[in-house]
Amino acid sequence: MKTADPTDTPTGADAGTDTRAGTTARRQARPVRRIMVRIGPWVAVPVRRSSLIAAAISLLLLLGGAVATLSMGRLGIDLADLPSALMGEARGKNAFVLNRLRGPRLVVAIGTGAAFGLSGALFQSVTRNPLGSPDVIGLGAGAGAGAAAAALFLPDVMPIAVGSLLGGLIAMAVVYFSTGTGFRSPGRLVVAGIGVAAMATALTQYVVYAVERDKASALTAYINGSLSARSWEDATTIWIVLLVCVPFAALLARPLSIGEMGDDTSTGLGARPARTATAAIALSIMLSAGAVSVAGPIAFISLTAPQIAKRVTRSGGPHLVMSTLLGALLLVLADLTAQQLPLFDDLPVGLYTMAVGGGYLGYLLIREWHRPV
Amino acid sequence: MAAVLCLTLFALALLASVMFGSKATSAGDVLRVLTGGGDEYTRTVIESRYPRTALGVLAGLCLAVAGTLMQGITRNPLAEPGLLGINAGASASIVAATAFLGASGQRETIWWALVGALATGVVVHLIGTAGGGSSPVRLVLAGAVLSAVLAAFIQAVALSKPQVFDTYRYWVVGALGGRGFDAVWAVLPFAGAGFVLAALLAPGLNAMAMGDDKAASLGISPARVKGAGLLAATLLAGAATAAVGPIAFVGLAVPHLVRALVGADFRLQILFASLAGPTLLLFADVIGRVLLRPQELMVGVVTAFVGAPALLFAVRRMRGAA
Repeated sequence: MKTADPTDTPTGADAGTDTRAGTTARRQARPVRRIMVRIGPWVAVPVRRSSLIAAAISLLLLLGGAVATLSMGRLGIDLADLPSALMGEARGKNAFVLNRLRGPRLVVAIGTGAAFGLSGALFQSVTRNPLGSPDVIGLGAGAGAGAAAAALFLPDVMPIAVGSLLGGLIAMAVVYFSTGTGFRSPGRLVVAGIGVAAMATALTQYVVYAVERDKASALTAYINGSLSARSWEDATTIWIVLLVCVPFAALLARPLSIGEMGDDTSTGLGARPARTATAAIALSIMLSAGAVSVAGPIAFISLTAPQIAKRVTRSGGPHLVMSTLLGALLLVLADLTAQQLPLFDDLPVGLYTMAVGGGYLGYLLIREWHRPV
Repeated sequence: MAAVLCLTLFALALLASVMFGSKATSAGDVLRVLTGGGDEYTRTVIESRYPRTALGVLAGLCLAVAGTLMQGITRNPLAEPGLLGINAGASASIVAATAFLGASGQRETIWWALVGALATGVVVHLIGTAGGGSSPVRLVLAGAVLSAVLAAFIQAVALSKPQVFDTYRYWVVGALGGRGFDAVWAVLPFAGAGFVLAALLAPGLNAMAMGDDKAASLGISPARVKGAGLLAATLLAGAATAAVGPIAFVGLAVPHLVRALVGADFRLQILFASLAGPTLLLFADVIGRVLLRPQELMVGVVTAFVGAPALLFAVRRMRGAA
């Protein structure tokens, strides 16, 4: 299929990746240009040019969203002052907005969104279930229950973020052990997830019922996933999680794209689908758990980012890079809405993602239905 | 044999439901009160447990029969009434009515819950059958989508208005206590209509179990049976949810138990579900009452913690990778 063609080597691929060599591939009917993106000797991903363009557009949009987040509204930093403020010369109000109010929140939003997007892409690639994401197997619900339990039983002792991290991990452990086959069987995963989520939700609702109203209200806001009042520590946490996980995800990209051909084919090609699947799901859970501990279980990002990625790039494959970018973009835009929409006063961003994600899912369904089955 | 077992357990559940609580009484006390004897205090205690027992019977029956219908029609062993968006619809309606129309108190919210549950059921049905044809999968997905969007609405309104938040959080946990006979009377007509419809559909469902083509050759319209069956499920589940709040797993678990007990005949399934549902719900409620005495654990929490482990156990026996 692929022919090395040194005279036709495209240059200037994605910034930050080392393009040592490029190849183009041609199909008989329609030439599809591919660029081989390599990182050292370990990673070599053939990338379509259209995917690169889509990635570049998403990055631009992300940049636009970031600038809007910092500059819009009553407290925004003037566009003219923004460059110098970012260079560390912010004074007075601008310094406060950049360093305390919106800066950390924006960095957390980008990191969390990216983590959710990548997590969803890994999970959906393995389970081959377009509705699959760690939320679906109960991670978000478990995190909510962990946060609630921490608030009820260990108030002022255990921080809510730690409670939610523990809750999410415990939920995943229960899912892992109750399937009997670990993370290997997608169907069992989803059913076990339903059970774990039901228990976690019941516990959460009991706590919200039992504590006093102000506490219940604050807890509910957290459980829906909120980015308000984030600190630089939160930002550091999520970016460390990303730094640890992204290299492993890059290593998995190739086995995953082979795996999408089906277990038999990929075994024939020398891959080990079961091991790849377990590694990818473990990684996916780590990413989601990290994001949830920082921002709460924000709904639908990990579900929709890979779906949009698939439609934007119009190709097979796990779409890891695109999903990561789109996850970040979606969350930044949702949080911009949460901050600037005059209708409600700083509602948890998770509510916006829930409404929009649900609507998008409905749109997908209706579109699918008009297709003959 | 199975009938005797079910009836005995049902009677025991009824007895336990009026016997146990923050003040425990003996079976002898219950018997004396029922026959018109007993002292004033014991009589008051036991009679105060009648409404929640009646509610438990009604809600358990509704959820179990609705679950049986849904699993039979969708042929999905995980189908349950919550999937039709009924819980979300009832919640959203309560929240909207409390926030924008100033509804308050049990008596008013129950009507709103009923309206919301039924309206959502209809909308889910319309979306689910929009592109022509009525695949049960579409229906369930439509329910999931609508539930997500409504959940965002519910939380947004509840978080901006503390008063609404209170009404919502006390309702959504799912409890039999604190509601009177009013709740029973309010939803009884809908539950009754749903049950009669379910009973009438049983032969049609039996025919459809052999496949849609066979059923059509017997003069039964599968599409009509499915539509009517889902309507009945919506009525039943809507009535239960309006009366006691969302309760998980009764609608999911009972049909499985009943199928294991009596086999595939829907007439028997519906009959036994009407006994097993109340039995399960009442026992769950009794457990909730005695576990944290003198406090109470709501029945919705108990059913989740009893039902979910059962589901997790069942997962291990799922065949293959699917």
